[in-house]
Amino acid sequence: MLVKICSIANIGLETVSVDVEVDVASIGFPGFTIVGLPSKAIEEARERVKTALINSGFIFPPRKITVNLAPADLPKDSSAYDLPMAIGVLAASGQLLTSSSDLKQMFFYGELSLDGTLRPTRGILLLGLFAQKKPHSTIFVPYPSANEATVVSGIKIMPVKNLAELVNHLKEKEIITPLNQVEIKEDIDSLVPDFDLSEIAGQEQAKRALIIAAAGGHNLLMWGTPGTGKTMLARALPGILPPLSSLEALEVTRIYSVAGLIRPGETIIRQRPFRAPHHGVSAAGMIGGGSHPLPGEVSLAHLGVLFLDEMPEFPRHILESLRQPMEDGQVEVVRVSGHIRYPASFSLIAATNPCPCGWLGHPRKECKCTPKEIARYRRRISGPILDRIDLWVSVAAVEVEKLALTNPKITHKITSKQAKTQVIKARAIQSKRFTNLSIYTNSQMRNKEVKKLCFLTPEAENLLKMAVEKYDFSARSYFRLIKVARTIADLEGHKKIMPFHMAEALQYKQTI
Amino acid sequence: MKKFFNRKTGFLAEDLAVAALKEKGYVVLERNFANRFGEIDIIAKDKDILVFVEVKAKTGVDFGLPEEMVGKKKLEKIRHMAVIYTKGETLPSRIDVVAIVFDNNNQLLRLTHYENVY
Repeated sequence: MLVKICSIANIGLETVSVDVEVDVASIGFPGFTIVGLPSKAIEEARERVKTALINSGFIFPPRKITVNLAPADLPKDSSAYDLPMAIGVLAASGQLLTSSSDLKQMFFYGELSLDGTLRPTRGILLLGLFAQKKPHSTIFVPYPSANEATVVSGIKIMPVKNLAELVNHLKEKEIITPLNQVEIKEDIDSLVPDFDLSEIAGQEQAKRALIIAAAGGHNLLMWGTPGTGKTMLARALPGILPPLSSLEALEVTRIYSVAGLIRPGETIIRQRPFRAPHHGVSAAGMIGGGSHPLPGEVSLAHLGVLFLDEMPEFPRHILESLRQPMEDGQVEVVRVSGHIRYPASFSLIAATNPCPCGWLGHPRKECKCTPKEIARYRRRISGPILDRIDLWVSVAAVEVEKLALTNPKITHKITSKQAKTQVIKARAIQSKRFTNLSIYTNSQMRNKEVKKLCFLTPEAENLLKMAVEKYDFSARSYFRLIKVARTIADLEGHKKIMPFHMAEALQYKQTI
Repeated sequence: MKKFFNRKTGFLAEDLAVAALKEKGYVVLERNFANRFGEIDIIAKDKDILVFVEVKAKTGVDFGLPEEMVGKKKLEKIRHMAVIYTKGETLPSRIDVVAIVFDNNNQLLRLTHYENVY
């Protein structure tokens, strides 16, 4: 008998329907063959399905069993076909008395363990979103990862603990209760960052730049001598980033679902991503890769922050590979198996020393580098990358008075909480501005949106013109300056960009 | 329970297989055709088709079915031996498997004949 079970395959963030056709023939030499370009993991599913069926108390029919994963020309690479195959074998051998019309509205997805329990499987959210397009669909997914799909409305989500339980459910003996759909809440205070802004001594200008970067999603470079707090400032950043809106949260969760980075029991990612890869990262790890490309760090930082500590230490080709995603907000990974596009709209935060020894520009310590060494060190980050950085801040050495544990002089210090409130306010203005544009922040604006949505006063425009002429800024820099000025105006709650907003944007421009 | 030896069980199984094939109208040409490359249990003729038969017997199914014990490698070996038997001539031929299950007293429980398994 032939049975068709519905499942899916993921190509990057795209989903296609896969029919798992299972035939248990009445004639022919017993055996179990899987066709339809299965990967090694699917080939091995043979043993898992067989053992799981026997250990769950079912009969594995000693017949000729053929499984076809249609469409046949699409390479499949997922352990999630274990469950559809097992259900197919049971249905085709008459151990499951459900009519095939019932099976049409059901999706099965999950990896089996040898004792018949279901293991956490990645990509559940994408299955949910796909099933949503068909009316009245039910998805049967592993209990540990089932929560991932609960943000999807209009489908029935069945968390399945093991094979025996699922069969009893299908036979209507013992009903599994479907999971309730949950709303994507916008919770703000769930995260405790490593550092609070108020813990960092001095560095008021850097803190201001950090707030601007967080508010508008701009790129920021901090440079300064060792031990001045560059890394600390970056580590404090997650504490001032605004929470993800529901649309953004869905976008981020899709990526993490494909990468298999959602912890069991977690529903949706609400924290803005903060990725800090070490400079030993490979190109495939940064951009995305593998023979069936998985998202890399730039995509995992989508709508969040990519922090590169000690930026000149990163290999040149890795830094250059950031150029496309920084400009387009997406990255295209090409492999033999096809090309896949992942979103990668992140705000780059980088930290660097001014020279190899690190002490250049320190008020008292002497820099021992030769001019040639300094020049070579600076050349490691290429012009095109530097041109894409909107905010440059020098993180200077801190005076000892500011470090003193009891300091009566300093009364006003901005805390992360206050900064976050400012940032959230600025983001609210932006999201109102970009309704129906599928962008979220000022930094994501393309030139046509800048022209349409950013209003400069004549004085501000004049100031910008003068600066561009004097310092020979590129056309890209011209638009980036307007975007930064727009964010500063948003932070102050101004509708138009005033000259002092533009002046502040200009002072963060490249100085070295 | 009488203790039998695997070799004896094998011979018994092959006799049963031959009887079953004869009943189906096959003409048995040769038994235990062997050289240093391997062995074919039964070579028979079903009308015009040359049939190479592998007989597999198990005492009880506690350690698996006889069908499971005929793998790709074994079938490959039989195919190889068949080429030797026909001296490379292309004749209409096929490979069959006879799976037999005995109980502990070597009484026949099941005999299944699978045609054209390769």
